[in-house]
Amino acid sequence: MTNPKPQALLDDIEARIAQLACDAIVDGRGSIAAAAGALAEHVESVGLADFAEILRSIGESASGEAGEEISRRWQRWRADDEAQADAEALRSDADLAGMFVAEALDHLGTIEATLLKLEETPDDLTLLNDAFRPFHTIKGNAGALGVSTVQQFAHTVESLLDRCRSGQHRVGPAEIDAVLKSVDLLTALINDVADRAAGNPGRPLRADRLALTAIVERVIAEGGRAAAPARGQTIDLDTPAAGPAPGPATPAAAPAAASRDAQAVKVDTRKLDGLVDAVGELVIVQSLIYEDPALARVTDERLTRNLAQLRRITTDLQRGAMAMRMVPIRQTFQRMTRLVRDLSRRAGKAVELVLVGEDTELDRKVVEDINDPLMHMVRNSVDHGLETAAVRAEAGKRDTGRLVLRAFHQGGNIVIEVSDDGAGLDTERIRAKAIAQGLIAPDAALADEAIHELIFQPGFSTAEQITEISGRGVGMDVVRRNIDALRGRIEIRSRRGEGTTMSIKLPLTLAILDGLLIGVGGERFVMPTFAVRESLRPAPSQVHCVSGEPRMVEVRGRLLPLAWLSDLFSIDTSRVEPSSGTILVIEDETSAIGLVVDRLIGKQEVVVKSLGDAFAGIRGLAGGAILGDGRIGLILDAHGLVRLLGGEHVRDAA
Amino acid sequence: MSEDTKTAVAAAAGKYLTFALAAEEYGLPVLKVREIIKMMDVTGVPQVPAHIKGVINLRGRVIPVIDLRLKFALPLSEYTEHTCIIVVEVEIGGRRVMLGTIVDRVSEVLSIAADEIEPTPDFGEHLSTDYMRGIAKIRGTVKILLDLDRVLATDTVFAQAA
Repeated sequence: MTNPKPQALLDDIEARIAQLACDAIVDGRGSIAAAAGALAEHVESVGLADFAEILRSIGESASGEAGEEISRRWQRWRADDEAQADAEALRSDADLAGMFVAEALDHLGTIEATLLKLEETPDDLTLLNDAFRPFHTIKGNAGALGVSTVQQFAHTVESLLDRCRSGQHRVGPAEIDAVLKSVDLLTALINDVADRAAGNPGRPLRADRLALTAIVERVIAEGGRAAAPARGQTIDLDTPAAGPAPGPATPAAAPAAASRDAQAVKVDTRKLDGLVDAVGELVIVQSLIYEDPALARVTDERLTRNLAQLRRITTDLQRGAMAMRMVPIRQTFQRMTRLVRDLSRRAGKAVELVLVGEDTELDRKVVEDINDPLMHMVRNSVDHGLETAAVRAEAGKRDTGRLVLRAFHQGGNIVIEVSDDGAGLDTERIRAKAIAQGLIAPDAALADEAIHELIFQPGFSTAEQITEISGRGVGMDVVRRNIDALRGRIEIRSRRGEGTTMSIKLPLTLAILDGLLIGVGGERFVMPTFAVRESLRPAPSQVHCVSGEPRMVEVRGRLLPLAWLSDLFSIDTSRVEPSSGTILVIEDETSAIGLVVDRLIGKQEVVVKSLGDAFAGIRGLAGGAILGDGRIGLILDAHGLVRLLGGEHVRDAA
Repeated sequence: MSEDTKTAVAAAAGKYLTFALAAEEYGLPVLKVREIIKMMDVTGVPQVPAHIKGVINLRGRVIPVIDLRLKFALPLSEYTEHTCIIVVEVEIGGRRVMLGTIVDRVSEVLSIAADEIEPTPDFGEHLSTDYMRGIAKIRGTVKILLDLDRVLATDTVFAQAA
């Protein structure tokens, strides 16, 4: 069967209403009663019973303006006053409401993941129960809080799932589709009601709600062809942690999930951030005490021992607090599952998605911020990377394209990879396009890797057809910017005909940074270690003068422009001679500079603090760090510094 | 006195933290003050106007610090043992910002009644009075009552961010 999409259905009704309004003006009152009656029947058949009532009442009293009246009422009806009432209910207890929203959205994420698995193995009763339970919880909580739109809608969907798990209804594509759409709508409804409760304008979702209710009810009515063989197991809802149901499939997966739930506690993120902040403060005070000169004179053994103990515990506490900020990437990956499913359908390509390393943990903030770029990359792979079945067959590949999302730790970083076994990047086309856009000279000799890099240039896109999926022009440059903001790097590996792998390398946490402490005049700065290619004290012969001033340094055959941090930041001190100071080689995508500083003080892990909005626009600064003596050291932004100098291009000395 | 000025003066009545800058006395609404700390090392920030001295570590929080002498174009002097940072919370462009203001010396907290406040006189074009709520005359001394939100609203570095 084919379900009309709610949106299409609503557009259809709206068109009919417009038609009716026109007819009313042309024909006068005579025809309107009949037309309104017919429309009412249609509207009722798709589940918008209460609007049908409105139509009938207007139709009966048909006057010259009835057509317009119907249009007006339709608009108002769509705008939804029930949702407003729900918002009022939600507003009465902000704490409870916040928890309800967070928990419900969480559940919906789980349901979606479960449904996608259920689509593969529709007879899996454990999965069905896993999908049913959270629906029931959402319904119950919504009911308790008086959010009736959510409650009613969740109830309808729950009935469908209930019939499925009791064996009265077979799970097929129509069922999965209907429930997936319901998950989307519930997500929208809950976000909408939360928005309204916060005093923001709502979205007109009423019609979608009613239309989808009608669709789900129709799916129920159509009965899902006969009962499957008897299924005894049901889950006792009063004891949700009752352990796994010995269902027909994947018995091993359930206990793990159950025990993980049992050991987890939900904590408001603000409380968590507060704790992490307080611990950060504790660590600083602890090091202030530890480095206090007065302490060096202390000879009391017990006090020294206790202080060492205090230090150890503080370090443990800090590590623990940081670990609490870490969450597995699982949820983000699961969202991609849904995305790939929808994308592959729309593009008419069969795609198999493989997830590896979903339990890899990373900073909560990183998890949030990685979602968008990852979505972009997955879209790119499905849309541009993977070929259609026909093309693949011609190339002697499997019909089904393969997309692998992988997350793993490497050194102090986390790596997230998106790889496909598609066509690979077309270097010739990228080259041609880059020449056409004036990004490179027509005779530029570039290695394949350098050509691949071009796709990260702003506005670059080679897609011949602008598709609904990947859009146009915007894309990889946005991805790179997002990754930059997370202090990460993105790399691309591609082989023609074999596929493309994009890998993002990110720091484990944004809260702590591995830095080099440097001194200029009386000031100290922190340079992120990852931004420094190398640091050196050059021999006088490596330094080259231009018009009598030292301006270049030769490092491994490359000539780099010199820049003094004291100049860039107008620090009140005299320029240090390059050969008696230290040079840090830093670079962005296109250029590199030798940054001259007075001295390298040492390596230090620092807690990154924002400088606040006031200083957000300052080039060359990434934040502040509280140093061992309690003073603040500014954290440098290498990219910003390179740009601050005007970014001269790297030249080969040879 | 026009009705408008009368309302403004009435609204200005209340508790003020008074402090000295050069030979002048100023007042800040107590409600804006979060705490007063001893002068401490300030880390300079590049590319900002001179009166923005930089940032300090306020128990783990990084907050900007401005020197009110520089802001009001008063003659510079060395910081002394009386020099203080008054930490205030101001609202700029609808956003709350915590920052420190360096002053020569904190005097006292005064309750200032409406009848002790005069509207700010017009000093002509060369001296803007936008950031003054009024002038208080108490026991023969004059105290300039500041509207701190306005003082800082003219700072592009804060205004742009807001």
